[in-house]
Amino acid sequence: MVAMVFMREVLTADVDNAQLGIRLERILFFKQEMELSLIGLQNAGKTSLVNVIATGGYSEDMIPTVGFNMRKVTKGNVTIKLWDLGGQPRFRSMWERYCRAVSAIVYVVDAADNDNLSVSRRELHDLLSKSSLNGIPVLVLGNKIDKPEALSKEDLTEQMGLKSITDREVCCYMISCKNSTNIDAVIDWLVKHSKSKN
Amino acid sequence: MAQPLVKKDDDRDDEADYSPFLGIEKGAVLQEARVFNDPQLDPRRCSQVITKLLYLLNQGETFTKVEATEVFFSVTKLFQSKDIGLRRMVYVMIKELSPSADEVIIVTSSLMKDMTSKTDMYRANAIRVLCRITDGTLLTQIERYLKQAIVDKNPVVASAALVSGIHLLQTNPEIVKRWSNEVQEAVQSRAALVQFHALALLHQIRQNDRLAVNKLVSSLTKGSVRSPLAQCLLIRYTSQVIRESANNNQTGDRPFYDFLEGCLRHKAEMVIFEAARAITELNGVTSRELTPAITVLQLFLSSSKPVLRFAAVRTLNKVAMTHPMAVTNCNIDMESLISDQNRSIATLAITTLLKTGNESSVDRLMKQITNFMSDIADEFKIVVVEAIRSLCLKFPLKHRSLMNFLSNILREEGGFEYKKAIVDSIVILIRDIPEAKESGLLHLCEFIEDCEFTYLSTQILHFLGIEGPKTSDPSKYIRYIYNRVHLENATVRAGAVSTLAKFGAMVDTLKPRVFVLLRRCLFDNDDEVRDRATLYLNTLGGDGAVVETGEDVKEFLFGSLDIPLVNLENSLKNYEPSEESFDINSVPKEVKTQPLAEKKAPGKKPTGLGAPPAGPPSTVDAYEKLLSSILEFSNFGKLFKSSAPVELTEAETEYAVNVVKHIFDGHVVFQYNCTNTIPEQLLENVTVIVDASEAEEFAEVASKPLRSLPYDSPGQTFVAFEKPEGVPAVGKFSNMLRFIVKEVDPSTGEAEDDGVEDEYQLEELEVVAADYMLKVGVSNFRNAWETMDADCERVDEYGLGPRESLAEAVNAVINLLGMQPCEGTEVVPNNSRSHTCLLSGVYIGNVKVLVRLQFGLDGPKDVAMKLAVRSEDEAVSDAIHEIVASG
Repeated sequence: MVAMVFMREVLTADVDNAQLGIRLERILFFKQEMELSLIGLQNAGKTSLVNVIATGGYSEDMIPTVGFNMRKVTKGNVTIKLWDLGGQPRFRSMWERYCRAVSAIVYVVDAADNDNLSVSRRELHDLLSKSSLNGIPVLVLGNKIDKPEALSKEDLTEQMGLKSITDREVCCYMISCKNSTNIDAVIDWLVKHSKSKN
Repeated sequence: MAQPLVKKDDDRDDEADYSPFLGIEKGAVLQEARVFNDPQLDPRRCSQVITKLLYLLNQGETFTKVEATEVFFSVTKLFQSKDIGLRRMVYVMIKELSPSADEVIIVTSSLMKDMTSKTDMYRANAIRVLCRITDGTLLTQIERYLKQAIVDKNPVVASAALVSGIHLLQTNPEIVKRWSNEVQEAVQSRAALVQFHALALLHQIRQNDRLAVNKLVSSLTKGSVRSPLAQCLLIRYTSQVIRESANNNQTGDRPFYDFLEGCLRHKAEMVIFEAARAITELNGVTSRELTPAITVLQLFLSSSKPVLRFAAVRTLNKVAMTHPMAVTNCNIDMESLISDQNRSIATLAITTLLKTGNESSVDRLMKQITNFMSDIADEFKIVVVEAIRSLCLKFPLKHRSLMNFLSNILREEGGFEYKKAIVDSIVILIRDIPEAKESGLLHLCEFIEDCEFTYLSTQILHFLGIEGPKTSDPSKYIRYIYNRVHLENATVRAGAVSTLAKFGAMVDTLKPRVFVLLRRCLFDNDDEVRDRATLYLNTLGGDGAVVETGEDVKEFLFGSLDIPLVNLENSLKNYEPSEESFDINSVPKEVKTQPLAEKKAPGKKPTGLGAPPAGPPSTVDAYEKLLSSILEFSNFGKLFKSSAPVELTEAETEYAVNVVKHIFDGHVVFQYNCTNTIPEQLLENVTVIVDASEAEEFAEVASKPLRSLPYDSPGQTFVAFEKPEGVPAVGKFSNMLRFIVKEVDPSTGEAEDDGVEDEYQLEELEVVAADYMLKVGVSNFRNAWETMDADCERVDEYGLGPRESLAEAVNAVINLLGMQPCEGTEVVPNNSRSHTCLLSGVYIGNVKVLVRLQFGLDGPKDVAMKLAVRSEDEAVSDAIHEIVASG
């Protein structure tokens, strides 16, 4: 949209060719913005994922997020606004407020924590049943595949009941923030969705 | 925004009142708040919307829970913007919305990030918000950062942390106390604001530790405080230390006085003023200590800044109450303030002058007051009226001009409180200054001719009914009163009818004419007015014959009921219409509060019309009726005095008993007021067994037991003693409450048939010399003293031994004699070495007594007293000396 406004301005402006060239170059590399919400149970690795995407750094020593962290990350010509929300039960009722009108919801699951999978599954389905979030694409990430007990993608898809979600685009990747496994694929998916949305 | 520009030339006042937000609507602003959710934020627009929301909140608009939650969460989305101005508004908005704890926690992480940010403004404000919303557990997590912030290089950040500490001290004192070291470091900060906040917090941390406060003050008064605000705080803390250490300092050198005095030469005016005020408020300040403070205040009086003039004159006004002489030096400066543009300053100046002035300056001051009365607000007018009233009591000879002033302002416009203050003052002057009576009454009469306040009209009519008939020409008031019957509302008309009837009953020559007027009232269209007129006509013998109205009829119509009106009201409310008619004798006569004699002590507001207008207070009337209704006591003669109730039990015991001593010429009656505070008990046959073995001159003659004392329903039992006629016999009595106790079933309220005899020890009771003295004041002591026969004067000197203070000695003698202090002489100025106190009273046998006491300090604590007594009977003069000699 912004790009189009600029284009019209450029076309109607009475400017010489040299200037026009500079303008066009800017438009081609004009930054796109997208907004994402990062949710999932506590200790699933949401804040770690943000750090890995933003800086590539990883730390074992993380404190629980009390509330939310707001981060802006630039990948290529896309600026991603990340709402990284706390996963403790007292914040779950507030997730929905930060998911409205985002480009995509990123749902992080600890694939090695079998005990909490059913809770995670219930929270995801509860959230997606909210009418305000109709049609927003969901990216489910099975984190911590560096751990031996981690589930396979098929098992995770099965246990999270992802097949039953039919009213929107759902995608699932298995990642490891610790080893930066599959992070590029995640970024690609995200960038693609920013384009499709705008 | 264009509007103020357009109007610029028209009217500057309008421009000042104009708000760009005037008339904005909540609904519309909430709609606008949706911009917070836009993917592309416009920081400027968002800031404006927040400003509007804050404006609404400040105007008292409330948001519903849903609205507040919605706004709060959208505001939290603004954390994505890096715009500093907008972030600042976000902080303010979170604080102002104060969402519920379970919601506000969502911003914790963001605030913690900001608290450690490189941007100073983020750090400072995030600390403030975080401390506002935090709880104990979170506080321990962020404590480390707060301690760092206290010693932050940026003063704004340090101040934010310190102020948060002051708030947190209320909820988490143990955590904040751990920051002492950092706070102490901050006290040494070069930034004025940090020093100020750090000192305030440090003092609060230590406030319960006197030694620590002492140390704090000692080290800081040596001069490391640069901030004027902090210096003001230090002065306050120093005064506190001086107050608390005053008692154990014998040498007379006041600790830290030099510091306070040094502050008088500080370059900041606020420090100078704070120090001057602290000095004037020192306990027992001497005139030597006071002088430098008064000098700087005097300089402030001629300052060009109104706030300094106001502060100075207000402080001097207070000083004038205790040290009028110290303030007289400033009189010239204060006189020029009478014409000050600021009316608050002018009022304070003039009332101060009235306190310090002498009789000769009264007229001049009155003239000046008259000039500006119309310019000041009602509340200040009341201050002036009260000052005039006390002035008039101080200089009774000036009553004419002061009364004229009061009547003049009474005619002008004014609200109820103001008018009431004036009327009250006139009533008090009429009561205390006999010469002022007639003119005062006429002023009141004129006032009710055009009075819009029903309350004041009826009160004045009542007062006229009491005082009017006693004047030399009662007939001149009739016209004013009867006018009310034609012109006023029903309440006032009814009051006027009663007043007319009083004139008729009291003044026989007026009676036929009053009856004519009363008969006209029979056609009034209001029930109450007609009823009253009918009642008076019938009982006063309105058949036209000039007959003397019987005493009992007067008593019935105009006497006070012998029961407290509150009790009567309660009984009437509880009365259920039935075959049995209401029995007034069933109303309890126990008087809950008995102010025995209205004291005219300065500082205590005279109650004016609210109080009984003349003669002894109505409680004494009530006692007299109560006692004469008891057969055994009916031949004791006239009641001379009833004491205030003396408690014979501790508070909150099973049975509460107090005693009132009734003194007759040849008898003393003890009235024991008993209350049973145990719901499960019913007491019967309650008596007090009195042992008078330590009161030799008294012999018990009668006792009147109380038949039954149910729970929480006070009753009285009496014991009467005979004593030598006219002799002020004294003695000690021990008391034992004896009764039969019966168990009561609390559910049914029924008592068992059988009871057990029981006793309950009460405290001792004494009859003292003061019981034989009535407190009766005189308005002009000197006149009264001169007119008494000098032959009956008895003078002697007494040593009172070591006393705590002169004031304590004066009080002790006043209490011993039980007399009325006159002309405010019971108040001893601080630090005076000598004092004269004037007392008046009526001694048993109705002998007027005047006493002049001269006290002097003899050595450091010993008090010597010269007692001069004049009375109508030299034996009484001797008796007074005997009381003092044996007391």
